[in-house]
Amino acid sequence: MKTTVVGAFPKNSDARQDLRRALHRADRGELDDAGLAEVFDKTTAWAMGEIGSAGIDVINDGQIRWDDLLAPFAKGWRNTERGPLERFYDNNTYFRQPIITGPIETDGTTLVRDFTFAKSTARRELKAAICGPLTFATLTAQDSYYKSLERRTLGVADALAAELRGLKSAGATLVDVEEPALAAHPEHIDLARAAFERLATAGVALALHPYFFPVDAIVDALAAFPIAQLGVDVRSRETSARAIDRIGAMTRTVVLGIVDARNTRLETPRELGELVEAALKKVPAERLWLSTTTGLEYLPHDVAVKKLNALADAARTAGGVRA
Amino acid sequence: MSGVLLTTTVGSFGKPDYLQKARNANARGTLSDSELLELERKATEEWIRRQEAIGLDILVDGEMYRGDMVAYFAERLDGFKIGGLVRSYGNRYYHKPVIASKVRRPKPLTVEWYRFAQGLTDRPVKGMLTGPYTMLDWSYNEAYRTRRDAALALAEVVRQEAEDLERAGAQYIQIDEPAIHARPEELDIAIEAMGIVTQRLRAKTISHVCYGDFAAIYPKVLELPVDQLDLAMHNYEYRWLDLFDTHPFTKELAIGVVDVHSHRLETVDEAAEGIRRGLKYVSADKLLPHPDCGLKTRTVEESLDKCRVVVEAAKMVRAEIAKTAAV
Repeated sequence: MKTTVVGAFPKNSDARQDLRRALHRADRGELDDAGLAEVFDKTTAWAMGEIGSAGIDVINDGQIRWDDLLAPFAKGWRNTERGPLERFYDNNTYFRQPIITGPIETDGTTLVRDFTFAKSTARRELKAAICGPLTFATLTAQDSYYKSLERRTLGVADALAAELRGLKSAGATLVDVEEPALAAHPEHIDLARAAFERLATAGVALALHPYFFPVDAIVDALAAFPIAQLGVDVRSRETSARAIDRIGAMTRTVVLGIVDARNTRLETPRELGELVEAALKKVPAERLWLSTTTGLEYLPHDVAVKKLNALADAARTAGGVRA
Repeated sequence: MSGVLLTTTVGSFGKPDYLQKARNANARGTLSDSELLELERKATEEWIRRQEAIGLDILVDGEMYRGDMVAYFAERLDGFKIGGLVRSYGNRYYHKPVIASKVRRPKPLTVEWYRFAQGLTDRPVKGMLTGPYTMLDWSYNEAYRTRRDAALALAEVVRQEAEDLERAGAQYIQIDEPAIHARPEELDIAIEAMGIVTQRLRAKTISHVCYGDFAAIYPKVLELPVDQLDLAMHNYEYRWLDLFDTHPFTKELAIGVVDVHSHRLETVDEAAEGIRRGLKYVSADKLLPHPDCGLKTRTVEESLDKCRVVVEAAKMVRAEIAKTAAV
């Protein structure tokens, strides 16, 4: 049973605020782009080290450069920009809503430089991540080009497919697709599936993470998605036994979110053990990964590290029990 | 206080450099609490004078002594502990509180500041509190079994504070709920909790709501037991007003007519147009122009400029109303 993380890692801690200070200095014109890039890289290496040291098997780069889930794309693509602030779902965390002014265009290299750096730094298996197409499309504030949610979602999906091809060329073998909109708006499930078909043309294994909301309403439809992995939060949200049954019956890896990344209360080994045991009744161990429920950036750094340790311990304990 | 298009602000203003430095020094332990307090009082008085000079009608103390609107209360209530830094957006961080055990108010939290600020001016100063639902939603809950249990316990301490502010003379008490639309399915909890806070108040009650999907909670939010809703409108290009076509707005409306997260200064004409749009739905005696949200992320100068635009825009539209009435 492998352990993994999803989403962003805290960019600063109470003790380490290099990036926060560097961004302030850059704002004041006291630090140039090259200086800031160096701090971003050092912070990325620090975050990856923290995740790896906790004993997580499949790590990511902590998304240290990402202001929010949509930012790298809204910033990097042609004919998109970052607009007004809005709350990110039910979090006290805010993002800039994309504005689309024309056909979205990309050469597919938006994430390549950062992934290449992370790969050169990683001492463990590394995965990449993109924003889900439906999430980007539904959180767009203004769109003067596509004009309908359907056309916009598919336009975004084509751009994301190009990014996936870029990541694949850079050596990515697994990419998380963070798609909270899918669970938040189950009515768009068919549209999302059409978008995922386009992502799948890139030929890289996809892990779908529809976090924040219960997946019960979409679980049947998810069976037809072209994905290698499905993330399910079984800790912070009630997920019905039926839904777990359905997910277990799918022939893909289940990434079980057992450590709540949005509450500081630390799970006890017993609580985690029970969640894993319950899942093992439905999903064979070789198809079960253990994970955080969403990005750890919703927690202070010290708690995030404790949660990672709890996650790694749970996997070790479960492995020991099975052996 | 009566009048038309009374101008006000949402609560916080930019802190002057000397105060920001003093807060940092205090956090490092190189400036005493009493020295910091003196500077907070100085900055508060400066903001009262500035608001008078600009011509705002209903004032605030500017929250020179607060960092974050939830953490300020959490630091002073029993049951909370202050967690580590968490990012809010961009490069902005806050210490997100943790409800670690049952919540209790050991003593009044804002009443002295209200008395101090009100003592400096003849114009009304609003009492400013953070609502129970937002306190819950912006904290980690480790102590209560359900979110409703936690919200109702927080409502009890906010009620005590609100009633103390009223006893101290506050004519306006603002209980902010910017998180109210975080989970629309929990709107009933927010309404129930606010009912506990305002049940015995005679003061004018206000609640500020911003940054979220207002459409998801309208018109049900009209059941929130306060007299006035205070809404960010400019940031949303006034789209929430369209909702009032279907379900008439039944409260006083404090309408945001300038953006607070942009360095760009709106023109007076632009803000006046926002007021005119509001007037299509709410009469002038029930419409209060103001900036979209607290101005604490802006500098002192930017805060001032934004407020001036609001006041000048209100003057412009008042003159138009007077002219129409005279015809």
